[in-house]
Amino acid sequence: MSPAGCSHVNAYKVDNWRQNLRVIYQCFVWSGSAEARRRKVLQNDVRWTALAKSCICHMCGAHLNRLHSCLSCVFFGCFTKKHIHEHAKNKRHNLAIDLLYGGIYCFVCQDYIYDKEMEQIAKEEQRKAWKLQGVGEKYSTWEPTKRELELLRHNPKRRKITTNCTIGLRGLINLGNTCFMNCIVQALTHTPLLRDFFLSDRHKCEMQSNSCLVCEMSQLFQEFYSGHRWPHIPFRLLHLVWTHARHLAGYEQQDAHEFLIAALDVLHRHCKGDTTRDDNGKKANNPNHCSCIIDQIFTGGLQSDVTCQVCHGVSTTIDPFWDISLDLPGSSTPFWPLSPGGDGSTVNGESHLSGATTLTDCLRRFTRPEHLGSSAKIKCGGCHSYQESTKQLTMKKLPIVACFHLKRFEHSAKLRRKITTYVSFPLELDMTPFIASSKESRMNGQYQQTVEVLNNDNKYSLFAVVNHQGTLESGHYTSFIRQHKDQWFKCDDAIITKASIKDVLDSEGYLLFYHKQFLEYE
Amino acid sequence: MKMEDMSLSGLDNTKLEALAQDIYSDLVEDACLGLCFEVHRAVKQGYFFLDDTDQESMKDFEIVDQPGVDIFGQVYNQWKNKECVCPNCNRSIAASRFAPHLEKCLGMGRNSSRIANRRIASSNNMNNKSESDQEDNDDVNDNDWSYGSEKKAKKRKSDKNPNSPRRSKSVKHKNGELSNSVNADPYKYNYNTGINYETLGPDELRSLLTTQCGVISEHTKKMCTRSQRCPQHTDEQRRAVRVFLLGPSASSLPDADTMVESDCYDASDGQVLMSRLQWDGSSDISPSDSASSKASTNNSDSKKPKKKKKMSLGLNSTGGGGGGSGSGGGSSSQSSLVGQSNRKKKPKLPVPPAPSIYDNLN
Repeated sequence: MSPAGCSHVNAYKVDNWRQNLRVIYQCFVWSGSAEARRRKVLQNDVRWTALAKSCICHMCGAHLNRLHSCLSCVFFGCFTKKHIHEHAKNKRHNLAIDLLYGGIYCFVCQDYIYDKEMEQIAKEEQRKAWKLQGVGEKYSTWEPTKRELELLRHNPKRRKITTNCTIGLRGLINLGNTCFMNCIVQALTHTPLLRDFFLSDRHKCEMQSNSCLVCEMSQLFQEFYSGHRWPHIPFRLLHLVWTHARHLAGYEQQDAHEFLIAALDVLHRHCKGDTTRDDNGKKANNPNHCSCIIDQIFTGGLQSDVTCQVCHGVSTTIDPFWDISLDLPGSSTPFWPLSPGGDGSTVNGESHLSGATTLTDCLRRFTRPEHLGSSAKIKCGGCHSYQESTKQLTMKKLPIVACFHLKRFEHSAKLRRKITTYVSFPLELDMTPFIASSKESRMNGQYQQTVEVLNNDNKYSLFAVVNHQGTLESGHYTSFIRQHKDQWFKCDDAIITKASIKDVLDSEGYLLFYHKQFLEYE
Repeated sequence: MKMEDMSLSGLDNTKLEALAQDIYSDLVEDACLGLCFEVHRAVKQGYFFLDDTDQESMKDFEIVDQPGVDIFGQVYNQWKNKECVCPNCNRSIAASRFAPHLEKCLGMGRNSSRIANRRIASSNNMNNKSESDQEDNDDVNDNDWSYGSEKKAKKRKSDKNPNSPRRSKSVKHKNGELSNSVNADPYKYNYNTGINYETLGPDELRSLLTTQCGVISEHTKKMCTRSQRCPQHTDEQRRAVRVFLLGPSASSLPDADTMVESDCYDASDGQVLMSRLQWDGSSDISPSDSASSKASTNNSDSKKPKKKKKMSLGLNSTGGGGGGSGSGGGSSSQSSLVGQSNRKKKPKLPVPPAPSIYDNLN
């Protein structure tokens, strides 16, 4: 018996009490629908139907006034007028249930009581009703168990993360040209979903040795939220990454983007232990259907449509991606002439000086139909011959965290240089124009400004920016990360300082991390 | 209010408004009731007050936004003296020099193969490993240590005088008078690290003898701390020691095969191994050159290694074979030892002698 329960329920818990209780919950507290309620009342127990035609107080006929149902017999009484109390006294039926919220009242204790077993039944019935109503699963907040309550009571010193709190922020020592790693670590540790996953201890390690990168990631989160103020030394992380991603190992300056992909890859591989079992109880070990946290957060689907110019048949493939690499103006690749966005219009809130390239411009270029020249003819399934075609990339599935990589490092045959063209990027980004279903409106290369976006599914918010200063050969990475909705911080290895939104948006931008604003249950 | 069937059409505005008002207030009341229940339950179950925080320490965590200091209120650039422990060789390294150290430690740097070859060459001339000293010399030059490195290095050098390579190098050069001088060294080595069997109880002895050679040296009267396959002593000697220390029933040595099985690499083993290496170069791992290369191919994770470093047989190989040049100098000389010890042992395993690995690398 929990401390919130009472001993008087024991008299009730006899015979078939569970079933009786269930019936009460089903019929009178939480039914699937009014229809179902009526039907249930009529179909179920005959004893009930005769008397329980409608839920009204048996004494005054009211149907509001906090109607309660006696648990031991068929009697409804209102609470406010004490009709149920009278009934309880007369009949010595000590328990009644509130028909609005399902709480159980004990007349002896004169208080609502919370009995574990009865609450269990109540929860189950409530879930059933939600399912029938089409609501599905509703979010319920965490409640500590008895043991957890004990632990918490014995440890009263507690830190709460308020908006002006440094907890969650920590510097990272540079281990020798490891600023690229530090920036990616800062971005990952400030990815809200990833943070929630690790702080709620969802990783169950199945690796035998100590070399699981996901465990190290988990440890990293513990370090960030420990409240320590001195910078953390990520030497174990470096060692693990070098062990598992050999191509990155070596004391030299690396590319942050490459590190991001390698890190995500290793994390994904080490996450195999966490793949949830699907409904059949089989472990989803198929690499194409991985449901590890990395895939759930970062993996999107890129649709590539190749249209034959002769028969207009379209062949479609969908490839998974973790990031989108965007070409920039000023590179040796031809940059598509800017569309109406270039005259200073505020598409996506990018109201910068006219002429400045925006992230949206780069995305538009990325998803434009590209005519593959006569030297790159594709074998068309419809025409059964090689024909010229156009290819177009669109987003089939948008990931929860979208990472954009601005290709600033040019390694073409002619030259190797860094492109420092300023690209303005917005705080809020709407990806609707770039998804696969918007493709039809853009087949001819015309960009249609969407008038209204009713659908919130494709809205993203910026939460991390990684910047590079310097040249192709040598430079330094710093990052801006967002904490507490609108506070931005600059992370320069071990030095964390507060930054303004303007600082962030004015920076050059190399890797941009956007997070979906609205998350839906699947 | 009785629940009767009412039609709304015959009612005028005020009545409608009154009805609407009633419905609205009922809804508000229900919502409030729900909130009351939530609070009531939270209090009764005991988790309502969990939110309360410790006020004084909360002040410590406020963000500071002033020039010259970071958000914790700390001055910039005071972190030059941070140190960490290398997971590979277990030594304390300055944090800002950790990456270059690790590169060498794992055998990935540009000079690592040169250093390793140098070590093989020098240790091939001596019977013993004093590679730890050599390693230190290289590292000292590379400033892997913290800012106090000069002091530390000097201290280490002086500590190591009795066992320094300089000594054995000089021994090595006078090649004539070998066995005495050369053999003297292992005992010198073990001088500080041998175990005095008299101070140990029977249980401790038993557990020690399951992992170590244990043969008692005539000179120092201490037990050899090398592995069960230490080349210095024979199995006969080992059996004799066990009989001497534990009684006639405890004379069995574990099988060579089981030794092989226990050779799966794990990070902690590697560290234990490395620490052994520095003192007595235990060669637990002789068999595994082939095992190590198998292990490494199984575990090599990189799809497109940028630099084709054949040396990097995978970190796992350090435990596996010592032959794996995974960790810097220590293992390389150890593997050369392994090569030698292989010849001494019965050829149970189809293992190429260690030097051949380096042939491939070169």
